[in-house]
Amino acid sequence: MLFKLKNKMKRLFCNLILIAILFFVLANVEAAEQKLRYHGFISQGLIDVDGSNFVNDNGEVSSELTELGINASYQLSSNFRLAGQVVYLNGGNRYAEGTRIDYALIDWLAYTDTNWRINIYLGRFKNNHWLYSSSRDVPFARPSIILPQSIYFDGFRDIAVGADGAAIKISRSDDDYGNFDFNFSYGSNPISSKQADIILSKQSQGTVKQDFEAQASFYWQPLFSPWRFGVSYLDSDFTYRANKAQDLFFDGSFSFQTTSINTLYEGEQWEFSGEFHESRFTTKGFFTPTSLKNPISHRWYVQSRYKLNHELTLLMRYETFASDKNDKNGNKMEQETNGLVPAYFAYHDDTTIGLSYDLSSNFRVRFEYHWFQGTGRLTPVVLPNPRVNNSKNWQLWAVQLMYWF
Amino acid sequence: MFKQYSLIAKCKKDCIIKTLNSLCLLIFFGCIFSKAYAVDVIVHPSVSESKFTTSQLRRIYTMRQTQWADGVRITAYVLPRQHSLHLRFTKDRLQMFPYQLDRIWNKLTYSGLGVAPITVNTPEELMNAVRRTPGAIGYVESIKDAEGVNVIQIEK
Repeated sequence: MLFKLKNKMKRLFCNLILIAILFFVLANVEAAEQKLRYHGFISQGLIDVDGSNFVNDNGEVSSELTELGINASYQLSSNFRLAGQVVYLNGGNRYAEGTRIDYALIDWLAYTDTNWRINIYLGRFKNNHWLYSSSRDVPFARPSIILPQSIYFDGFRDIAVGADGAAIKISRSDDDYGNFDFNFSYGSNPISSKQADIILSKQSQGTVKQDFEAQASFYWQPLFSPWRFGVSYLDSDFTYRANKAQDLFFDGSFSFQTTSINTLYEGEQWEFSGEFHESRFTTKGFFTPTSLKNPISHRWYVQSRYKLNHELTLLMRYETFASDKNDKNGNKMEQETNGLVPAYFAYHDDTTIGLSYDLSSNFRVRFEYHWFQGTGRLTPVVLPNPRVNNSKNWQLWAVQLMYWF
Repeated sequence: MFKQYSLIAKCKKDCIIKTLNSLCLLIFFGCIFSKAYAVDVIVHPSVSESKFTTSQLRRIYTMRQTQWADGVRITAYVLPRQHSLHLRFTKDRLQMFPYQLDRIWNKLTYSGLGVAPITVNTPEELMNAVRRTPGAIGYVESIKDAEGVNVIQIEK
């Protein structure tokens, strides 16, 4: 009886709050317009891959290139704000298809004056440490349909895109030395069994857990300069618990440490960007109870964009990835696996050309072509699939139409 | 001989006057021309500031400064990114390229880091929005239309 009453009271309380919000919004439509902001995007494309299972296993032209998103931001007071975004992604084999909460956070403007600004974010936040890490799912906010996989590997998308935890951003806008930004974030990601299949192998029957992820980055843009420079560091640990009843793998742990540098040049017509990442990836156990691997991988890209006019932009890019800097051509890996995993799974190079045309302020169409050498950035990662990916060279073209508001 | 010399001198004088006249005309039309293409920054009358440097205006439009000195929240208004007045404002007043602003605003809007300026469709809508929103900032083609708002002087 008391329980029922409590429930009724709770419902009444919630209804009262809802009515109060509705009344407040109706009474202050103009004020609400500035406090509540909502935006979104819709995009659909066609993608054709020849010579790999990057998108699908049958190699046919695919429409599995859908990205939708809707977000809202509500200013609670002058220093507190709520924000959230939901996205639906379908990229075939690139990542798990479905709807995700991209971010859902409380933004606290802890300090501000004309030159300083400190924001603290609590909840689910996006990775804001690399050049395109926070806009990788937003088709018109990234430079190409497919980002350089060496750094923005789609197989790691759900882990690398953000985390649940806390983040801080400290900004200084200096009238003599330009803009300085420092970001730090700490959190972790839940890992679904679909995601575990993509990273490890469908044969892994156990569970993967991300223990933590700590990231820091620092950016500097000199005053009125077209250049911006950045450095970042990432540290993250994962644990694998084998399925005791039946599993090909053993208990194990994975550890990532990445150091990176990046630069961006924004001229009137020319734009250049580049990133270099060096990662140590340590695996303890997993393959055998006593196994220990800790290769250092190198990955980088250089990108140039040329704006012919306000509507048309051309793109050129080259990227390269070596999973072990001491075994760039993969011969050692092929020998170690007795030829089971071909040498070309140890690296990934991509040469890209593309164009982007703005049909209006909110409508864009993109086209691009990629030439790849190596299959080091195809899923699954830990136990690769050389039966489907039996070719060292493969190509891709894609076209995508996007609308945003 | 003397007559011939004075004739040459007169001719030279005429030439200088003519050149000066054309220069004056050029400057005059130049002024009209640049006036017609000016972009002025406007704020709601509640904003106490009357002068900005270019870097301060940049801070406001790149959302690095979101509150006025008195603590009131800044509400920035813009026209669609392909609008000719927006292109001129970006280049002449902010000394930036429109795509740089798009990149900053898209990052804020679609990654939850912050909010971007509010986009309105026409210069009239922008003017009305600034006029009725305390703490608002925007831009107009000519200060002649700037009734009910304050015009900000931009120092280089």
